[in-house]
Amino acid sequence: MKKIVILSIVTSSLVMAGAYKVPEQSINSMALGAAYIAHTTGADSAYFNPANMSFLSDKQHMEAGLTLAHLPENRFSGVQAFSATEFHPADGKTETENLLLPYLHYVSKPIGNIRWGASLTVPGGLTKRWKSPYQKLFAEEFTLKVIELNPVLSYKIADNFAIGGGARFIYSEGVVNSDGGDAGKAIKREMEGNTVEYGYNLAMTYKPTSDINLAATYRSNIDLAEDGQANLYLGEVGKQFDAEVTVPLPAALNFAISKTWADKVTLEFVYERTYWSAYESLDFKYGSPIQPALVSSFDDLKARNWKDTDTFRVGATIEMNNDITFMVGYTKDETPAPKENISYELPDTDAELFSMGIRVKATDAITWGLAYLHDEKESITLMPGDNHGGIIGSFSGGGADLFTAGVTYEF
Amino acid sequence: MNQLIKSVAITLPIFLIIGCGDLDKPSNERVIGGEIVVDFSAKMMKESLISQGMVDENSTVFGYKAYKIPYTTTDEEGLEVKVSGLFVIPTGMPPAVDEIGLSMVSDDHGTIFANADAPTVIASNYGTPDGSSIILTSMGGFATLQPDYIGFGDSNDHYHPFILKKSLASTTIDFIKAVKIFSTNNEIKLNNQLFLTGYSEGGYATLATLQKIEADAELTVTMANPMAGPYDLNVTAFGVLSAPTLSVPSFMAELGYAYAKAYDQTLSTIINEPYASKLPTLVNGSLQREAIDAELTYETTGVNGLFNPTFVGNFFADPNYWFREAMVENSVHAWKPKTSVRLIHCEGDEVIPYGIAQITEATMKAMGAEDVALIPVEATLGLDANITHGECGMKAYGLTTQIFSDVRKATIGY
Repeated sequence: MKKIVILSIVTSSLVMAGAYKVPEQSINSMALGAAYIAHTTGADSAYFNPANMSFLSDKQHMEAGLTLAHLPENRFSGVQAFSATEFHPADGKTETENLLLPYLHYVSKPIGNIRWGASLTVPGGLTKRWKSPYQKLFAEEFTLKVIELNPVLSYKIADNFAIGGGARFIYSEGVVNSDGGDAGKAIKREMEGNTVEYGYNLAMTYKPTSDINLAATYRSNIDLAEDGQANLYLGEVGKQFDAEVTVPLPAALNFAISKTWADKVTLEFVYERTYWSAYESLDFKYGSPIQPALVSSFDDLKARNWKDTDTFRVGATIEMNNDITFMVGYTKDETPAPKENISYELPDTDAELFSMGIRVKATDAITWGLAYLHDEKESITLMPGDNHGGIIGSFSGGGADLFTAGVTYEF
Repeated sequence: MNQLIKSVAITLPIFLIIGCGDLDKPSNERVIGGEIVVDFSAKMMKESLISQGMVDENSTVFGYKAYKIPYTTTDEEGLEVKVSGLFVIPTGMPPAVDEIGLSMVSDDHGTIFANADAPTVIASNYGTPDGSSIILTSMGGFATLQPDYIGFGDSNDHYHPFILKKSLASTTIDFIKAVKIFSTNNEIKLNNQLFLTGYSEGGYATLATLQKIEADAELTVTMANPMAGPYDLNVTAFGVLSAPTLSVPSFMAELGYAYAKAYDQTLSTIINEPYASKLPTLVNGSLQREAIDAELTYETTGVNGLFNPTFVGNFFADPNYWFREAMVENSVHAWKPKTSVRLIHCEGDEVIPYGIAQITEATMKAMGAEDVALIPVEATLGLDANITHGECGMKAYGLTTQIFSDVRKATIGY
């Protein structure tokens, strides 16, 4: 249990930007709303586009930082229906979360045309903690924590063309707690699981002219098969079972283009296709049969049928002078969750993201920066019959405010 | 570079050690000499019973807490067997009752074949209140004792001594004693009231238990309400074996199997092949009654019948035939109980005829019993029509719970 606390300090997370994927992992990416694929300029290239490591100056590059994520409460106003004749008023809200997300990026000096780097990031996750009775029945707490170690290589094929790629080592933890006691249902679930998974990422950058970058990156799907134990309670008596639940960290394909004017102003557009359709169902599996009275609530497969999403990002980088760089970004993000399968553990909706940030050169080697991103979620109303889980009403609130502070070092 | 190494050195160990902990086991109530298997609050029980139409908003409903208790008893052969039973207590009782202590009801269950249907197995597997103990405990406020019987629960590998007097009584009495020790060790306050009841095979076991308790004089019984049991086995056997077909072949097949074991007889001299060879598998606790019936014949005897014609012929022809003597030896109707006995039976019972209870009442009274009465369920509850053995069970339990509650109220005030 002590070790779990350590994890919470390190990775207490996580943000709901595009369901439970968190693309922003550095000063620049946060300030630009992750419109940061084609024109990456620092150690964070190792994560966002390893091919671009080939175009960095011939030094070692490093960036470390911390993001404070403030997650406002999600609110629900409506009723929860269990059948055509049983429904209950179910207004409720989640806890507000304030979380710290660390990151670390490194890029080596070139060795011929090859360069290596590595990133330690928190690329996905979510946490929802409801305190209202009918939401607690489904998601008293639903937390997914993900840490990624991503060593990468780049190879400069030509002065204007490079490729890159790497291995993804993912450590993930999941917590699922459900408690029907306050809703008059004598059932409860406590589940903790973890897993280590592997994947890969690929990247390429082509510079048709000195001021235009074209880039494509791909991160593979990784199924997070959280393996652990579940305590299932009927009344006040619980039993422990081996348990597993799998959620995907979906594949993502990015196409990006950037143009720089007078070495001062850069505009970048990113199109991202995220393959959320890998998330077909939420299926808890137990090592032995569970109490029959709990099967419908805790064992039956819950359809999710998420759909692939398109995200459009635009970011502008303006070098005010040799020491100060200003950045702004805008993102139009799409939820992968269809209305019929929206659930309390992740009441995700379409969103717009607004971001800005600044980098200040402190010395020739050290730059510090600050960035802020606001994630504005749309409200959504579920009419009777819209949702297979019996949710009738409106979700509002949610979103996120993220503040990143970081330092880069070149040596 | 040194800084990089330092950063990685700090970060990676944290990455590697995180999350190695396991989820703590459920924080269930710890008890000495058993384990808690069901715990539903009074609020939960009431909501559940209202949803099932068993009570209304104005009804008093108590919580339901059940413990599985292992104990030791003696089988028909006189050997010790490790068995199990379910002890259910009401929670949320008035403080005055906590002072007085709970009255006990020993509730012997009816005929089962699948181990999954044993009281402790149901409670352990399902984790929910079940069956008659809901009526007796959550609605009646009694502490309910349900032995699994030999052959079920912790003794599933032993044959079940079906309708065998000695071991059914021992199993019940030893469980009452085990519960008293368990209650003392776990500060569950009981009073001195002990009621006995049970339905069908459990009705038979109830009278067997009462007879042994009175003979041993170690325990005192407040009242016994056996329900729908085959108390006079000889009459029951005559009735069944003289009929051309069996209403429930598994009952009689189990009887033949158990008596062959207990009286050291070759099974094929009682049950025809191929049924004799199948029976050890059919009654090993893995199958429900319906599945067993499907493997047997409904013809009573003859070449294609369940029972060996020679066995049946000997039963009818020879008063000294071992099975005739065994039926007499294991009957529980012909003695004089000192305890108040209420024989609860439905007049429409097609499995255990009402006449068996009439014979029992008449025999006991003829032998000098002063407080034995037969209570017909339908007439007492004002039902419009007679009901079957299966329909009668829960109504009989409701009636018995009411009778026991009236006695408790009259004697100890709640």
